[in-house]
Amino acid sequence: MKRTVVMFVISALALAGLALWTLKGHIAGNAGEMIMGAIVLLVVGFAVFLGVSRLRSHRRGELGEDELSKGVMRRASSLAYYISIYLWLFVMYISDKTTLEAHSLVGAGIAGMAVVFVLCWLGVKLFGMKSE
Amino acid sequence: MNNRIKELRAKAGISQLELAQRVGVRRETIVFLEKGKYNPSLRLAHDVARHFGLPIEEVFLFDDEPGPGRAGEAAGV
Repeated sequence: MKRTVVMFVISALALAGLALWTLKGHIAGNAGEMIMGAIVLLVVGFAVFLGVSRLRSHRRGELGEDELSKGVMRRASSLAYYISIYLWLFVMYISDKTTLEAHSLVGAGIAGMAVVFVLCWLGVKLFGMKSE
Repeated sequence: MNNRIKELRAKAGISQLELAQRVGVRRETIVFLEKGKYNPSLRLAHDVARHFGLPIEEVFLFDDEPGPGRAGEAAGV
C-alpha cells in the first residue's frame, strides 16, 4: 500500500511540474517540447494505471504484487534495457547529423527509454512469459 | 507446459478469484495460468496442485506428455 501511495504522489508531482512548465509557456508552439510533454503524460498515465490496478486488487483482498506481476516487471525491465542499448547507439549516431543540443538528445534518449519500457511491459502482458 | 487448472476449477465450482485467494496470488495470475501464458514457480504449482488434492504432474503437463495419468501408469498405479 505504501508503494502505491508513493506512486500516486510522484505522479501528482510530475503532473504539477508539467502543468507549471506549460503555464510558463515552454511547450506552446514547440514540437519537441510537446512530444516530451506527451511522453511525460504517457509515463504518468502508466504509473496511475498501475496504482489504480493495485488499489483494486487491495479492495478485492488480493495481494498488491505476486510472482507474476514481479516477473512481468523483471522481464519488461530486462527487455527494455536490452533495447535501450540500441536506442542510445541510434542517439549517438544521429548526434553527428543533427543540430540538436546535447541536453535535448539526452532528454530524448531518457524519454525514449521510458516509452520502450512501457511498450515492453505491454508486450509481456499481451504475449505472456511462458519461456521463463 | 499445459495445465488442467480451468477444468479442475470448473469441477470444483470455484471462481478464479477464490482460487487466487486460496493459493495466495492475484486473480490475473490464475487467468494467465489458464491461458497458458505463464509457467508458475514450483511453489505456486505445488500450492495449486495441493489445493485440488492432486500431484503436480496431474495438474501441470509438459508439452511432450500425452495427458494426465501418465505418471500414475509409469509408477505402476
